[in-house]
Amino acid sequence: MIGQLLISGIAIGSVYALLGLALVLIHKSTDVVNFAQGEMSMFSTFLAMTLVVRLGVPLWLVFVLAFPIGALLGALIERLFIRPMAGSPPVNLLIVAIGLFIVLNNLAGWIWGFDPFKFPSLFTADPVELAPGIRSSQNTLGVIGIAMVVMTGLFVFFEKTREGTAMRAASQNPEAARLMGIDVRRVSTIAWALAGGIGMISGMVIAPQVFLDSQMMVSVLLKAFAGAILGGFNSLPGAVVGGLFIGVAEVLFAAYVSTAFQDSFAFLVIVAVLMFRPTGLFSRSGIKKV
Amino acid sequence: MRKFAPWIALAGLAISLPFAGQYLHFLLATILIFTLVAMSLTILIGFAGQISIGHAAFWALGAYTTAILTTKLGVPFGVGVLAGGMVAAVLGALLALPALRVQGHYLAIATLGFALFVQQVLYEWESLTGGRHGINVLRPAIFGVELNSDLAYCYLLLPVAILFGWITDNLRRSHTGLALFALKMSTPAATSAGIDRARHLVIAFTVSAFFTGISGALYAHLIGYLSTEAFSLEASLGFLTMAVIGGLGSHVGAVLGAAYLTLAPEVFRELKNAQLVVYGLTLMLCMRFLPGGLASIPQVAVRLWRAVRP
Repeated sequence: MIGQLLISGIAIGSVYALLGLALVLIHKSTDVVNFAQGEMSMFSTFLAMTLVVRLGVPLWLVFVLAFPIGALLGALIERLFIRPMAGSPPVNLLIVAIGLFIVLNNLAGWIWGFDPFKFPSLFTADPVELAPGIRSSQNTLGVIGIAMVVMTGLFVFFEKTREGTAMRAASQNPEAARLMGIDVRRVSTIAWALAGGIGMISGMVIAPQVFLDSQMMVSVLLKAFAGAILGGFNSLPGAVVGGLFIGVAEVLFAAYVSTAFQDSFAFLVIVAVLMFRPTGLFSRSGIKKV
Repeated sequence: MRKFAPWIALAGLAISLPFAGQYLHFLLATILIFTLVAMSLTILIGFAGQISIGHAAFWALGAYTTAILTTKLGVPFGVGVLAGGMVAAVLGALLALPALRVQGHYLAIATLGFALFVQQVLYEWESLTGGRHGINVLRPAIFGVELNSDLAYCYLLLPVAILFGWITDNLRRSHTGLALFALKMSTPAATSAGIDRARHLVIAFTVSAFFTGISGALYAHLIGYLSTEAFSLEASLGFLTMAVIGGLGSHVGAVLGAAYLTLAPEVFRELKNAQLVVYGLTLMLCMRFLPGGLASIPQVAVRLWRAVRP
């Protein structure tokens, strides 16, 4: 029982972790708390559905194309709505993100209607016996597998490529990075593109489990926020650990304590953690200048 | 003359009210009620620099408190509304506790979590709040006289809104208001000059929650029926956008923001499915071209005029 719960917690937690990564990437590079991250996922998952159901593109091919399509959407949003706002106060940036949330949410409803759709899955619901007594489904393991592939890809990108190194530099010290010849504005476009790509994949992974509709990502995004905050909101590994923690804790809480409060549980965890570690579990507080 | 202009405008509004239609009375009452929320966020964000995405929680606490007190215990309307503000204020002070340690975006998310939690508790606690069935609320009454039209209610709400505007204004000029501004500009500088950060933040949160609780209670009596759907994430986001769109500096901004939140859906209704898409776009355009909110239109106009004048 506990083994199965842990695995399904890790599966849902890895989706939170992916979205948390996207949130942290955007926050580090453009200082935006991206309320629209979930809606970017939802919107691009609708695009995927159109490709698969209306145009008959094979699902595996759409999965391969998901990252570039989502990235294009993310980059487009950054160029159109975020870049012109450079230098605005944080609360104004927050309102722009909320505006983006409202636009994408209702645009999806306008184009595809408000009824839920069944989204095809790459995997089946067939049970898999991992160890004696611990059963899981292909679906669950598939979600974990895809999340791990994406995370590995990101790790390689940040550690081994020129662009990734430039992004790390720009987030540590934008001023110095600019003096070293790094185009900081390009870095923010890349961050939004990465977030868009990650968003599309996580949307396609979660859609078969919950039905695809315009409200699909709202509560998922809130959990991803919780995970990212837990991890410090500035640390990529922190977002992954935080997301996984929220996923596992939530599944255990629902199984042993109460299902009614499953959704707000994550936030009680956050408030509790922030009381003792105001900057999250994984980030060190910096020195503030007057 | 300048000093009296707003009062003359208000008197004109009060006199012309009976000639407007019933629906306009309802809209005006809604605007006045939202104005209180916008003022409460002006205090919290504009003065203290703390972002809240959870004000629907205080609104709900005010609304449900008066609903339960007036319908179940037969408490008079005025007492119910005040109690609504008090309950919200107590929880506001409690929410300030994490704010003392947590800042910026972390705090925003914490307030969001608080709002979700309050909404969930109200939904689950069926014996008290009616849960999914909702709860009916009585019409407002003063000294036993029922205000059975929205017009009569407007005449009650107008002085209330003016009173709260006056309180906001005085708060800004008070020692507390100046201390909050100092903390917003630079917390280390302000605290090293002897300003008690904890105390002032608790005050800002408590006052802000009190305003919003009163507003929620007044809203409950206007609508006559409460269900938890009215206090969702969308309500919190709506409040935040209204306050910023109006402009965080003044009560003119608060009124404009409240009017925007109330009237924009009415204006855009003709657009059917595109309604909310257009609403979202106007939010983004406003932030791009009017970062100071609607209240800054005169300054922006003057600047534009100076730029084009030969």
